[in-house]
Amino acid sequence: MTPFLHRVRFHWILLLLAALIPLLELVLPPGWHFGELLRPIFLMAILGLGLNILTGFTGLLNLGVAAFMAVGAYSYAILTCDIYPFQLGFWSATGLTVLIGLAVGLFLGLPTIRLRGDYLAIVTLGFGEIVQDVLKNLDTITKGTQGINPLPPPTFLGYAFTSEKYQPWYYLFLAFLAIVVLLNRNLQRSRVGRAWISIREDELASACMGINTMKMKLLAFALGAAQCSLAGALWASFLGSSGEPGNYDFQISVMAVCIVIVGGMGSIGGVLLGALVIMGFSRIVLDNFTSFLKAHELVSSTNVLAAPGNWKYLLFGLALILMMRFRPEGLLPSRQVRAELHPGGKSEARNP
Amino acid sequence: MSGSEVFLQELIIGLSNGMIIALIALGYTMVYGIIELINFAHGDLFMLGCFCALTLVGALGLDQLAPNTFGVRGGLLLILLVTPAFCGGLNWLVDRLTYRHLREATKLAPLVSAIGVSFVFMNLGLFWGGLRMAVFGMGRAAAAPKDFPVLISNDNLLGQSAVQFTAKDVMVLIVTLPLMIALTWYTKRTRAGTAMRAVAQDRVAAQLMGIDVDRVIGQTFFIGGLLAGVASVVFALYNNSIHFQMGYRAGIDAFTAAVLGGIGSLPGAVLGGLFIGMARAFCDQYLATRWTNAMVFAILILVLVFRPSGLLGAKQKEKV
Amino acid sequence: MNLLEIKTLTVRFGGLTAVNTLDLEIQPHEIVSLIGPNGAGKTTVFNAVTGIHEPTRGRIVFKGAEVCRPFHWRTAASLAFFGFVTGNILVFAANIEALWEAAVTAHYQYLKPFPWREAIASVFSYFTANPSAHLEWPLGIGIVVGAGGAYAVWRQSRRAPEIAARAGIARTFQNIRLFDQMTALDNVLLGMDTQLRSRFWHDALRLPLFWREHREAEERAMEMLRFVGLEPEAHRLAENLAYGLQRRLEIARALAMKPQLLLLDEPAAGMNPAETVELMQLIQRIRERGITVFLIEHHMRVVMGISDRIAVLDHGEKIAEGNPQEVRADQRVIAAYLGKRMRDE
Repeated sequence: MTPFLHRVRFHWILLLLAALIPLLELVLPPGWHFGELLRPIFLMAILGLGLNILTGFTGLLNLGVAAFMAVGAYSYAILTCDIYPFQLGFWSATGLTVLIGLAVGLFLGLPTIRLRGDYLAIVTLGFGEIVQDVLKNLDTITKGTQGINPLPPPTFLGYAFTSEKYQPWYYLFLAFLAIVVLLNRNLQRSRVGRAWISIREDELASACMGINTMKMKLLAFALGAAQCSLAGALWASFLGSSGEPGNYDFQISVMAVCIVIVGGMGSIGGVLLGALVIMGFSRIVLDNFTSFLKAHELVSSTNVLAAPGNWKYLLFGLALILMMRFRPEGLLPSRQVRAELHPGGKSEARNP
Repeated sequence: MSGSEVFLQELIIGLSNGMIIALIALGYTMVYGIIELINFAHGDLFMLGCFCALTLVGALGLDQLAPNTFGVRGGLLLILLVTPAFCGGLNWLVDRLTYRHLREATKLAPLVSAIGVSFVFMNLGLFWGGLRMAVFGMGRAAAAPKDFPVLISNDNLLGQSAVQFTAKDVMVLIVTLPLMIALTWYTKRTRAGTAMRAVAQDRVAAQLMGIDVDRVIGQTFFIGGLLAGVASVVFALYNNSIHFQMGYRAGIDAFTAAVLGGIGSLPGAVLGGLFIGMARAFCDQYLATRWTNAMVFAILILVLVFRPSGLLGAKQKEKV
Repeated sequence: MNLLEIKTLTVRFGGLTAVNTLDLEIQPHEIVSLIGPNGAGKTTVFNAVTGIHEPTRGRIVFKGAEVCRPFHWRTAASLAFFGFVTGNILVFAANIEALWEAAVTAHYQYLKPFPWREAIASVFSYFTANPSAHLEWPLGIGIVVGAGGAYAVWRQSRRAPEIAARAGIARTFQNIRLFDQMTALDNVLLGMDTQLRSRFWHDALRLPLFWREHREAEERAMEMLRFVGLEPEAHRLAENLAYGLQRRLEIARALAMKPQLLLLDEPAAGMNPAETVELMQLIQRIRERGITVFLIEHHMRVVMGISDRIAVLDHGEKIAEGNPQEVRADQRVIAAYLGKRMRDE
């Protein structure tokens, strides 16, 4: 098992570091406290891992994972909010939401598994759109743009989470992330994972080896959707609200796609790193850039160019372009780590 | 309005909107056909074209003139020449700077780059909206939608009839139809067009035949942008409102239309565009506006279940 | 009993007839070669046998059964079921808001226990009581679309390659199709997939079944690699292997399927004489294991050296068949393919 030890270590290293951060904060001065900010990153990482099953492992490009997240958030909200009769606790609601996500993934997957990659991408894009629409339109159930709120906070062994202390939330989300990482890792290094990767590499050859490609793709859809729904449920519990349908738009889906691709397709550690980088980017770079502009008085404050929010898209877009130009395989591609460990070098020129 | 009049009205609305969608879809499907890139930035390019057209309207002072006058017509003609050139040139430039370096990379690298370009364009649209010009509504927020002056009259050409068929609808037809015919002639009859088809079918073989592939791809981007530019002028004249986030909606419609008709197929894009335009019009009228998007999506899925390559798409045969 | 029967196989692509009324029988434990000039349709025959191309005419019969998904009454039943389910979903979707109001909003009172029975009862009575409920249209459309769509998907997958694979036919490809980013070992393990029984929950949760199978599978895969001489390369990425080793890996992967019939498409392409001899020995050893081999090759040494029978294809038609001596001397074969020198050798 030695060649894989290197890869196994990386995402566990990241998770371990994350687990240590709140403890470190006990000794660091307040200016260094950023643990609170990491919680959304954990949830985006879970979303990214869900997309990773579809795109990273199986090669099915999905441009509408925000839809699955929305389904998860709203399901959780409907199941827990006291304006509806269900009023389940955090744990049962989350479990049920995952099952609902599974069903929705299957539902979307069934008519679309035969589609070629790019057709599937556009269809998933459309799906992302209409889920938003449907959630907005069915306002007797979903309360339209108001969203469903307030939601009761999670409880664990009698202790109810509050918004004052962030540490319980932090460790709750980190624990979920760790479990998701473990399950994904297990799947990757197993019969199912091999089948998925073979479909991504060469679907026809895979079918000729006896793999039921339709079933495996459906499985990828279902499990990926379930994970994204989990992210949605946790998000809703975090916000204390289902959020409004407009929150689960293409930007979230794009964020997830960028996390997977910038991190390194198919590599779990890459997705974690990607989540950190993409989410951290908007915080750090954006704010610093605009304060730089203001400090040097390059623009007057009434100008549209002055507001930091107005540069968001431009900088993010440029960053993506540059990233793809100079490192298209992502920050931590899964095979690179293997290739690094096998200095045997490339094969001789192939027969064309 | 009687039942048949309603139907006819929806037909006209559907056709006009459909032609615009078809134009955008054409530009998108051409680029896809040649390098298999889902060009996310295409819708936002369309949006920039609208902003360019509005800027020209302001610069030429067309908003001060009455519609349908000679000055307005001349100005519009100029805008119809400059805006497509702007869009085409911008598209070509983007290819030159970004996608050209990614020809050998995995398919997802150009896709993410296109997403990046889309964001850049969108932000440019936002900044553009803050331009201090009367037509942009001085003093209003940069992010607000801008009114596009009525330069083509809204009067019903059918006189007192309940069915509305205005000069705007005529404009849509006289601009889009010749353009589509010209495009068909270009791809089928000229050497440049044939080179384009050759590169789309087999890049290596085209190279071996001595075709400068990068140049042909650049030309395709230019023409695609050109089509988006024309669509943007037509759209702005027809709908009289532009917004820096409109590119996304237009893009989705165009992608859906192209996929419905079969990506890579030019007639497919036109067919898909018309289909979507009509479907929208009829859904708005006979069902409920809030369900139109879902309906269009359902139609897309339905078509793809029975024809996975789209209506006119070629079935992909893998060489084993 | 014939292992494989190709009966009047015709494969047409549009106007081009790639294979024209081919009849061929393969007995168990034989090594049969298919030769002929390029473009004669040999790989197309392989593709038809393995379910990649649908025969325009004729049949492929393997172990007495045709290699495709037959239309059972079970298929018709599941299509109907699918249509029914889709119809119901559509009815539910078309009425969802009204249903919710009737069941939940009408009965729910804050802080009071929810009357579940009444709520569920009102769901059922909704359709009988409510004349404006959308029932016929969504149900009709749903049934038609659901059944029709399922049928369309089913038709497409009738001759899917996986059926041939599960029946016991394995193959290699003319242009090597390995899974480049997987190791050699993983490639072979993939080949073994049809014999593994663990499901995704066994894998995700690492249940005992996973560990049992995992160990056995790795052992068998290593044995397969040893059989083709690739054991030292087990953990190398497939794309980093030398060309000749890649060809052997493809054979190992195919053998991992425990097939009864192995189709080899130009296994000796690009090999030097030493490697060719090793290949011939490998094929003999495969036959000794009880596997029937069906071979496409251009390397005459290999063909003449190991084949029991040879069939010659030219422009899609079989122009000769027989043992190596007969085929060598056949005038039509010489004219079309071998050339005079072969006869004199």
